[in-house]
Amino acid sequence: MINTSRIADQHVGEQLSGFIDGELTQQERQFVTLHCEVCADCRENLERLRALRERIGNASLSEVGEDKWRETMDDPTVQLTQGIGWLLFIVGMLVIAGIGLVGFLFNDDISVGMKLLIFAIYGGLATLLFSVLRQRLIERKTDKYKDVEI
Amino acid sequence: MKKPGMRQQLIQLGNGAHALATQMLGNGDDAADAVHDAFVKVFRKPQAYDENKGPLTPWFLRVVRNQCLDLIRRRRPTEDTVDELSDSAPGPEASLEVIQRDQELQSALTKLTSGQREIIVLRDYMDLSYAEIADVLEIAQGTVMSRLHRSRMALKEVLGDVEGGARLP
Repeated sequence: MINTSRIADQHVGEQLSGFIDGELTQQERQFVTLHCEVCADCRENLERLRALRERIGNASLSEVGEDKWRETMDDPTVQLTQGIGWLLFIVGMLVIAGIGLVGFLFNDDISVGMKLLIFAIYGGLATLLFSVLRQRLIERKTDKYKDVEI
Repeated sequence: MKKPGMRQQLIQLGNGAHALATQMLGNGDDAADAVHDAFVKVFRKPQAYDENKGPLTPWFLRVVRNQCLDLIRRRRPTEDTVDELSDSAPGPEASLEVIQRDQELQSALTKLTSGQREIIVLRDYMDLSYAEIADVLEIAQGTVMSRLHRSRMALKEVLGDVEGGARLP
């Protein structure tokens, strides 16, 4: 039973938060309701807290998006399989390139000048490729807009 | 991941966890890293979550929060990051008015303590119950209401100052 004589005098503080969050007992809710009917200050406070709660609820405090988290969840598996794939690919390419290089260097049918020329062309291409890849990797790390979808 | 519904539930929790981490770390990029690390931890050891001990949401948010606390501990003590909160501002699809209101809110949140921001995000943004908030913050359930109310009043006051200040000529 609520003592009606103290309803008007006893301001409700933190119970206002409990009230808008639905975390009060039935008796407490009743007390807050009755008090707010007679107390303009608490009524105004209640409305402002309610508006604040709604404002925060509707705000965008994170704009990352579910896709990003889906990718993140897949990340460990993807990283592992990609890592294995790249390792096998690079090892295979190195072996083939090594065999080709040895065959090329020890081929007596090709003159030294021609060997140097071919070496310069492929060496230059490899250097350019490495340079572009390096630049791309640096940009990827610092690019703020990499996750922007167009 | 062995638990079938867990993956989807975690994906849906991502944004809320990111909002919480952003308020704790003051930086959207660091927050994304913290949530990512939390995901990796859960992914590597999903059996760490025991559904008999409670729902997934508070448990995962506790993992994220601990991750953030680790990051804060590792940071230099002089490092100040709260001014960078506007990094996680709304995207271009939001209207200008909404963007301004959200930025104003973000700015007001930076004036609060990390603990005040945390509890506001958990309740008003993520809609967690007081019991769940107590679980995430590892505090007694009885203290949630008073702490939340103080935090809301502080935010209300800061927003009042901001809005009052904005009206000045």
